[in-house]
Amino acid sequence: MTNEIRTSALAGAIAVLAGPTFAEDINITVWAGGSNDSDSYRIEAIEIAADILEREAAIQGEELNITVEGRRDFTGWDEFKQGITLGAEAGTAPSIVVTSHLDIAPWSQAGYIVAVEDYVDLDSWPLNNVYPNLMEIASYAGTQWGIPQDSESRPFFFWRETMTQLGYSEDDIDALPARVASGEYTLRNVLEDAKKAVEMGIVEEGYGFYPRPSNGPDYAQFYLSFGGELVDADTGKLVLDKASMTEFYQFFVDLVAAGATRQNHIGTDWNQWYNEVANGRAAFWHGGTWHFGRYAREGNDDFWNTIQFSLIPAGNDAGRPNTITHPLVYLVMNQEDDRVEEIAAQLIAIATEPRLNSLHAIQSNHLAVAKAQSNIDLYRGDRWASEATEVLLSSASSQPNHLQYGAFSEAMFRGLESAWSGVQTPAEAVAEVEAQMRATIGDDLIVR
Amino acid sequence: MTSRMLGIGFLSPAIIAASIFFLLPVLLTVMFAFTNMSTSTGIMGGDYRINTEQLRSVGETGISAESVEKLETAGFQITETGLAALADQFDEKVADELREDFLGESFAARRDLERVLRQLDDPIRKTRDRKAAADLFAVTIVGERFDTEEQFRAALSDTGINPADHDVLAEFAYTGWTWTTDNFKLLMELPSTVRFATNTAFYVVCTLTFNIIFGLFLAISTFYLPGKYANTFRAIWFLPRILPPVLYVLMWNWFTWDNGFIATVTGWFGVPPQNWMMQTAPRAWTVIILINGFVGASLGMILFSSAIKAIPSSMLYASEVDGANRWQQVRYIILPQMRWPILFMTSYQTLSLLTSFEYILLATDGGPGRTTEVWALAAYHTALNNYGGNLQYGLGAAYALALVFIGIALSVLYLRFFNFKELLAKPRIEQ
Repeated sequence: MTNEIRTSALAGAIAVLAGPTFAEDINITVWAGGSNDSDSYRIEAIEIAADILEREAAIQGEELNITVEGRRDFTGWDEFKQGITLGAEAGTAPSIVVTSHLDIAPWSQAGYIVAVEDYVDLDSWPLNNVYPNLMEIASYAGTQWGIPQDSESRPFFFWRETMTQLGYSEDDIDALPARVASGEYTLRNVLEDAKKAVEMGIVEEGYGFYPRPSNGPDYAQFYLSFGGELVDADTGKLVLDKASMTEFYQFFVDLVAAGATRQNHIGTDWNQWYNEVANGRAAFWHGGTWHFGRYAREGNDDFWNTIQFSLIPAGNDAGRPNTITHPLVYLVMNQEDDRVEEIAAQLIAIATEPRLNSLHAIQSNHLAVAKAQSNIDLYRGDRWASEATEVLLSSASSQPNHLQYGAFSEAMFRGLESAWSGVQTPAEAVAEVEAQMRATIGDDLIVR
Repeated sequence: MTSRMLGIGFLSPAIIAASIFFLLPVLLTVMFAFTNMSTSTGIMGGDYRINTEQLRSVGETGISAESVEKLETAGFQITETGLAALADQFDEKVADELREDFLGESFAARRDLERVLRQLDDPIRKTRDRKAAADLFAVTIVGERFDTEEQFRAALSDTGINPADHDVLAEFAYTGWTWTTDNFKLLMELPSTVRFATNTAFYVVCTLTFNIIFGLFLAISTFYLPGKYANTFRAIWFLPRILPPVLYVLMWNWFTWDNGFIATVTGWFGVPPQNWMMQTAPRAWTVIILINGFVGASLGMILFSSAIKAIPSSMLYASEVDGANRWQQVRYIILPQMRWPILFMTSYQTLSLLTSFEYILLATDGGPGRTTEVWALAAYHTALNNYGGNLQYGLGAAYALALVFIGIALSVLYLRFFNFKELLAKPRIEQ
């Protein structure tokens, strides 16, 4: 008893002697969109960063307690973005979000986010090691709003066995990525082969070409394949190329007519979709670099001998083989307390440390954001990461950070949906898309 | 006087509830519908800013070429004023060093100046201090945010921009929402408007017809069953209404999916597996009308059942004595006395179907290919929920406002057409 009193008295005396060191408590909330279990490091990297920052502060004699609270259980991007936007209006937005780089333009305009460049030194490690093109994607209108969280690309996939049955030799299949890249193997060939695969009974009807079942950046790739352009480099305005858009829609209509793709394909359950493509039920499909790990979980542990991948083939002479990289970015949201913004920005910078980012890249099969990651054993030792980087990233483009791009891409997908499902002909659909875009985007649109 | 106050006092809970849950939302909808509110303008107002992206089109606003050039070329410049501020707020030595090497020099971006401050012999070591120091040399307003118009105008003056251009620039730089009637123009122009309206009319008419007829059928058929069985059947048919919508629609999904119940059963007969909800537009409509129809019919059943029970049983006995069969009883005794409940259900269900979309959202989400997108769902997608996160509150409210007007117009029409007043004064059932 007496001992305890003595100890606490001593502790009290020491506390008084040590002077008024204020323990600073900071709560950081991180919301990550489009994230499942394998993307856990989008949040955990911030937790690790918080630990490092606390230690740095302790060395400088400050007591900093950072509590990180993460959330990634959103049903989809729609719910996530709705939550963020309405939360920001209500003043209950999280401190850090992991989201599409496309949100930077509208959210910075609305004042929902603050520029990370106001809080961290972009010329110091590790930010000065991030690929400059990715930094560019995370900036808008001359301001560095965010830091790239990961990088990826969206390849075209072939099921090897089906290709063999269609008459391609092993060498032919191995040469496919190069033939696609040179524009020799095009979407017309895809259509023919997909049709043939169905007619020969190698795959079931509707499983010749098995595209992504919901809206996404992937569909812009087909617009590019047919010669479309998303943004005019000179004026910075969005571009609707009617001929390319019509051909792009027509391609999907032709696929349906040939029995290679289902007319009601959009809306297919994602879990069902993953399982089917991972196990060879479809001849051709397209997806993302992160699908690699998912296919393994769906029971295909022999990716390299069952699946071939390439760029999205060109659609016509005007178009080019391409792939879109759609990096997610860390953004700091506007908070009442400037100190929270500052800590949040510092945490993001630390989480970009090559070793930390590699944890995410390898666990979730994404690509690196910083150059030094190729010198980290974990990253370098991963065949998928290095080959995907080689085949895809050099030809990768990104969607423009533009205030109206959301409206543009929504209209483009709606048009595709109604042509695909047979509600309108491609020409009618494009006419409606044009009317819709002219009305909603107005002066920021160039129609060709 | 006091009795009047008492009356108001008794009414006040209802008045408050009506104001909060009806009047206020309607007023807000009206207000929102006349703005260009969206994700990028925000709801709570905006501030003033010109960024490099806007610089590209600032020439189109009609301001003088000189002002455009001033906006474009300004950046960060090492001036004596800036150096004085630096010496004052930071360090004399830093200011001296900067003066010696860089006086008069310009930097396009703050980052370039930050680099200089970092590499001085006596550098500013802390990142945030460097940024604050660099800002002392800003002669640009590009990329900067100003909370109020006054601050923005003051900054314009400091940059030396012709005051004649200030008004235009202030309007150009405002990031918040403004009043506009464009939403309604847009609704008239958009080709999808007609389709959504047609979809809605089709959906309401079909579902309503199903609701009423099936509700009546259930009520009358269970009326003739012995009490115990009747209650069991009614309880079963009431399930769709008491199940949470998510669960109820999930069961429908399971029922119609590619590997669901129908597909499995039809599979035994050699029909290839297919999605019985989403395969074609007619199927999607059928499922949606059934989903909503069963929910509505169960309410109709309860209401109609109690109405039938209120019919004096002596009339039915009398008719049996006269030799009437079941059909004649229904046709000449039950149905004529059901006018009021049928009318009530029709008007109530029309209005609720017009604005409800949750079952469609959960089932088809407007697909396939937007064929089942009804007006209220379009409003929801536009204003609150889409893949790109491009929420257009103003346009969505304009959609909703149209529904408010249609709802009011239909209510008035029903009141006149069915002569509500007379029905209210003399309930037929009690005759």
